[in-house]
Amino acid sequence: MFLQQLVNGITQGSMFALLAISFAIVYGTLRLVNFATGSLYMVGAFAGWMIVQFVTANLFLAILAGAVAGFIMGFVLERFAFRALRGVARIASLICTIGFAWFINELMTVLFGAERKAMPPFYSDTAFVISGVSVSWLQIILVAVAVVILVLLQLLIFRTRIGLAIRAVSLDFKTAGLMGIPIDRVISFTFALAGAMAGISGVLASAYYNAVFPFMGNIAGLKSFSAAVFGGLTSIPGAILGGYLLGLVENFGVQVISAGYRDIIGFVIMVVFLLVRPQGLLGRKSS
Amino acid sequence: MNTLRDLIRSRPIVTAAVVTVFLAALPFLLGNNYYVRVATIVGIYVILVSSLNIIIGFTGMFSLGHAAFYGIGAYTSAMLTTMAGWNFWLALPVAGIVAGIFGTLIGLATLRLRAVFLAFTTLGFGEITRIVILNWRSFTRGPMGIAGVPIPTLFGWTFDRYGYYYLVVVLAALTVGIIYRVYHSRVGRALVAIREDETAARSMGVNVFGYKVLAFTFACVFAGIAGSFFAHFQRFVSADSFANLESFAIITMVALGGTGSIFGPILGALILVILPEVFRFLAQYRGVIYGLVLILVIVLKPGGLAGVKGIFEKPKTPKRRKRR
Repeated sequence: MFLQQLVNGITQGSMFALLAISFAIVYGTLRLVNFATGSLYMVGAFAGWMIVQFVTANLFLAILAGAVAGFIMGFVLERFAFRALRGVARIASLICTIGFAWFINELMTVLFGAERKAMPPFYSDTAFVISGVSVSWLQIILVAVAVVILVLLQLLIFRTRIGLAIRAVSLDFKTAGLMGIPIDRVISFTFALAGAMAGISGVLASAYYNAVFPFMGNIAGLKSFSAAVFGGLTSIPGAILGGYLLGLVENFGVQVISAGYRDIIGFVIMVVFLLVRPQGLLGRKSS
Repeated sequence: MNTLRDLIRSRPIVTAAVVTVFLAALPFLLGNNYYVRVATIVGIYVILVSSLNIIIGFTGMFSLGHAAFYGIGAYTSAMLTTMAGWNFWLALPVAGIVAGIFGTLIGLATLRLRAVFLAFTTLGFGEITRIVILNWRSFTRGPMGIAGVPIPTLFGWTFDRYGYYYLVVVLAALTVGIIYRVYHSRVGRALVAIREDETAARSMGVNVFGYKVLAFTFACVFAGIAGSFFAHFQRFVSADSFANLESFAIITMVALGGTGSIFGPILGALILVILPEVFRFLAQYRGVIYGLVLILVIVLKPGGLAGVKGIFEKPKTPKRRKRR
């Protein structure tokens, strides 16, 4: 039983971690919360589903499609909801992303209908069994994909020129601008990158739960935001840690309290963290 | 707009009389039960939007969970009247007080945090409230909701459609009136000072945290009262009526009407309740329209329709704003 929860926790934690990173990248660069992250996750899942449904039943192609869709949506979102509002009270752009999230969710409902669409099962064969707990290939692939993406992201941020630019902008975007860094382009890229993370997470989740629907991103987005908060909103390793912790805490927590309360575990931890340690586990203290 | 405003200012008693007569005659002018029902719903939203405006527009705080307090009020009233056999007139203020107590607790816990965190905590609280209502079956009857909430009676007279309408008009008028008086009082000035510049307000001796908690609580009391009325009007409550989308709808109305204005929220509620009713064929696009309105207002007309200086607007000269 313990092992089963551990495996489930790690698998779900991978998806939370990717989505939490999406929050952390945007918050780390601009100190803004992108409320529409959950919608980008949903759009990514729909893109993956469409590939599987209409082109070819290949999970990896679906993940790529999800990443591309998320990338584009993140870019568009920044262009229309954030750029015009730079310099205004931060809360204005938060509310604007709420509008955006609502708009996208409802638009997808109108276009595709509110009911759940099935994602065909992928790699559902058992890979191995340890002391009575079976682990499917899908679970291994999900965790592996998440880990690869996380490593690639770290490389991108710490080993490339654009990564250097992102770090500079996140420290102080005025100074970065004076140093000749094209801030607008860097910020656009950051949002698009965050969107791609959300999109990939959405495809992984839709494959794991076999379901795609327009409101799938709401709860997932909120939970991952809590994960990002208790990992430290400004830190990518923190978001990863937060994501996996949330996955584990949720799965073990359900053993203690009723399953119906599953979705509130994350919020409760988030509120506790905000009160006790607002910078999170690994975040840096900000003014 | 300005001449109208001047006219209203210079002739307050005449204006009040005209508005009273108009509101009193409205159900007879509409002459259709369905229209009167829509007018009543507008009234509920006027209370909700005006009260949220205290938080967002006056104080510059962010609550994304206003529907939770609305729901708490509705459930309190529904449970007191159906399970404990209370009278509506007693349950109404108690619903407001219970919602206010929850508001105080949330406020005490979160109002020291930065705005963004407050926003997410209240959003989380909204979700927690909904999930607890759905799961605590022995107490709230869970997903089945509470049916058969009694119709209010007054001296043996049972409320009909028109009765509900007049009751909500009185409640909304009281709400707006009280908010107006508070806004133009010492407390109101303190709240606006906090919105404009927290540090400056603190250095002037304003108890920032205390006033924030007060404003938050105050707004939640009205949300609870609106909830109580809703429970007895709809005669059925379930968690679905108080989901986060409801909070967003209220925020959209505040933003559209104009944050920080007294009249704006009324306008916002009026437009966004009536619009989907007029364009029934657009029913399935209701959410799309609300979302789009929210984006467009914030990007294009941050002051909202009332045209006051809203909190979404870009400061003319960053950091140091001067009003003189």
